[in-house]
Amino acid sequence: MDFFSPVLAGFGVVFQPENLLYCLLGVTLGMLVGVLPGLGPAATIAILLPVTYNIEPTSAIIMLAGIFYGAQYGGTITSVLLRLPGEASSVVTAIDGHEMAKQGRAGAALGIAAIGSFIGGTISIVVLTFVAPLVAGFALDFGPAEYTMLALLGILLVTTLGTGSVAKSLLMAALGLLLATIGQDPLLGTARFTFGSDGLLDGIDFVIVAMGLFGVGEILYNLESLRHKAPPPAPVGSVYPSRRDLRESRGAISRGSVVGFLLGILPGGGATMSSMVAYAVERRTTKKPQRFGKGAIEGVAGPETANNAAATSSFIPLLSLGIPANATMAIMFGALLLQGITPGPLLVDEEPELFWGVVNSMYIGNLLLLAMSLPLIGIFVRILRVRPAILAPLTILITMIGVYTVRMNVFDMFLVVGLGVLGYLMKKTGFEPGPLVLAFVLGGILESAFRRSMRTFDGELSGFLTQPIAASLLGLIVLLIAFSGWRALRGRKPDPRKEKHGTPAERPAEDRNPERDDDRADHPG
Amino acid sequence: MSTVDTQGSPDSRYARRQNVIAASVPLVIGVLAAIAAWQLGLGDLSDPGPGLWPLVVSVAMVVVAAVLVIRSSPTGAEERFNRDSVIVVVGVLSLLGYAALFEQVGFEIPTIALLMLWLKVLGKESWLVTVVVSVLASAAIYLLFITGLEVSLPHIVHF
Repeated sequence: MDFFSPVLAGFGVVFQPENLLYCLLGVTLGMLVGVLPGLGPAATIAILLPVTYNIEPTSAIIMLAGIFYGAQYGGTITSVLLRLPGEASSVVTAIDGHEMAKQGRAGAALGIAAIGSFIGGTISIVVLTFVAPLVAGFALDFGPAEYTMLALLGILLVTTLGTGSVAKSLLMAALGLLLATIGQDPLLGTARFTFGSDGLLDGIDFVIVAMGLFGVGEILYNLESLRHKAPPPAPVGSVYPSRRDLRESRGAISRGSVVGFLLGILPGGGATMSSMVAYAVERRTTKKPQRFGKGAIEGVAGPETANNAAATSSFIPLLSLGIPANATMAIMFGALLLQGITPGPLLVDEEPELFWGVVNSMYIGNLLLLAMSLPLIGIFVRILRVRPAILAPLTILITMIGVYTVRMNVFDMFLVVGLGVLGYLMKKTGFEPGPLVLAFVLGGILESAFRRSMRTFDGELSGFLTQPIAASLLGLIVLLIAFSGWRALRGRKPDPRKEKHGTPAERPAEDRNPERDDDRADHPG
Repeated sequence: MSTVDTQGSPDSRYARRQNVIAASVPLVIGVLAAIAAWQLGLGDLSDPGPGLWPLVVSVAMVVVAAVLVIRSSPTGAEERFNRDSVIVVVGVLSLLGYAALFEQVGFEIPTIALLMLWLKVLGKESWLVTVVVSVLASAAIYLLFITGLEVSLPHIVHF
C-alpha cells in the first residue's frame, strides 16, 4: 500500500477549502476562455502567471491546470452553437456539432460532449496516476546525454507532428533556441547577445516570452476584427442526451479516450491533434461514413473525449520528465519554475503534496466542469454576447500590469509589447508561436545538457551512441526525420481552404482564426 | 476589394512576396547571430566556449530560413495586411506610451487613458460604456494588486 498513501494524502490537499476554491476558479475561468473565441488557454495561463506568483504553489498549479482542461469543455459551446471554435482543439467538433445545432439538437451535442469529456478526462487521470510515477522512476538515472536527446526529440516532434508547415515550425524552434541563449552563458557566465543592456543580462524571462507571444500577440491579432459583431447563438434545448444518443456514442467515447491519452503523452500531440485523429478514427470505423458532416453524434463525442483525455495525459511528460509536451505545458513549466519548483523525475518523491494534489484536483475539476456544462450551460451561452471590444482592453490591461509585477521593471513592459508585435506578425504570416515557446523553454536544458555531455564524452559526438537510452532516443530522432522527409517527398498537400469537407486531420487548425473567416463571410466588404 | 481579400487570404503574388520577406528577416538575423556567436569564442567540442551553441543554433536557423525563401509558394496560412491592420499600429503605440508613462506619473492616469482609447476609439463603444468600464476596471486593478496582493505598483492615489 506504499504506493497509495501519497495518492490518498493528495486528496487531503485537494479538499483543503482554498484549494477547492482555486480549482473552481480555474475551471470556471477555463470554461469562460473556452467559450470566448480569440483568447486561448495558453494565452490566459500566460497572462495570469504574474498573479499566481503570490499564491501558494500547489493552489497556483491546481488553478492553472483547471484553466487548461476547463477550456476544452468551453471550446465546444461556440463550436456547436456558432460554428466558431473557441479553441483549436474544438475545430473538428464544429463540423458535425453545428450540423446537429441546425437540426435543433444543439443540446444533445453539448451534452454528449460534456459526458465524453468527463469520461475521457477521468480515465486519463486514473492512468496518469499509475504511469507518471513509473516514468519518473525510469528517468531517475537519466544524465545529460539522455536529456540532450530527450529535449531534441521533444522539439523535433513538436515541429513535425504539429499542425502547419514543418519548415516554418522548425524556423520558429530555431528562433526560440536563439532567444534562449540571450543573457549569461549558463556554465561560464559570459554575456551573450545582450547589446550592453543590463535588462537582458539575466536573459529574457520565460513569462515575458509567453505573455508577449501568446497574450499580447493574440490580443493585437484580434484587434483587427474588434468591430465585427458576432452572430447570435443557436438555441440550445435539452442538454441531456437520449438513450439512443448514448448508445451511438459509446464506442466513440471509448476510442476517443484511448486516442486522446496516447497522443497527449507524445510531444507535439496534445489536444488539437488528438481531436483531429479521433474524428478521422470515427469516420473510418463507422459503417455509415456518409452521415459524417451531416450531424453525426460520434463526430462530436469522439473528438471531444479525445481532447480532454489528451489535455490530462500531456501532464505526464511535464511532471515526470520535466519535458513539456506542448506550448501550454511549456507555460505550466514556466509557472512551476516561477514558484521555485523544477519539474522532473524527482518531483513525485520530493513534492508529493504538489504532485498528487494537482493530479487529484483534476477529478474534482472534471466533476465541476460536468456540472457547469450540463445544468449551468445557459449561463455560459449568455457570455457569448459579451463584446470583444470590451474584453480586449481589459485583457491587455491585466497583461501589462501583470508583466510589470514580475520584476517591477518597465523594461519588461517594452519587451512584452515587442514580443507581442512579433507574435502578431507571425500569425499574419502563418508562423505558429507554439514551437518557439517550447524551444525557448527547452533551449536552456538542451544547451546545458549538450555541453555537459560533450565534456563527459571528451568532445566525441559518437559518445551518445555508447549510452543505450540516449542511443535509442537518437534512433527515434533519425526515424522521425526520415518519416517527415518521406512525407514531404510524397507530395504537397492541396490548399486546405479550398476543400471544405476534406479529411479534417489534414487541415491545419491553428494557422488561422476560423472566427474571423466566418465572421467576414457574413459581412462581406 | 475582391472577394478573396475580404476573407483575409491574399492573392498568390502578394502571399509569395510576404513569405519571402517573412523568411528573409530571420535569415539576416541568423547570419548576424552566427557572426556574433563566432566572436564570442567557440572553444572546442571537448570544452565548448560560450559561442559554440549559439553558432549551431544560428546556422540551423539560416539553413531553414534559406529553404523557406526558396519555397515561398503560398500555403493558405498567409493573411493580407489591410486597413484593419492600422488599428494594431495604434494599439501598439498606445501600449508603448503606457509603458513610458507608467513609472513617471503612477498607473492611474495612463490606465484610464488607455482604456478610454481602446474602448471609444478602437472599439467604438458608447461614452457611457467607456467611462463606466474604464473607471471600474482601474478601481478593480487598484483593489486587486495594491490592496489585495500588496504589489507595489507606482500609484498617486493613497488611502
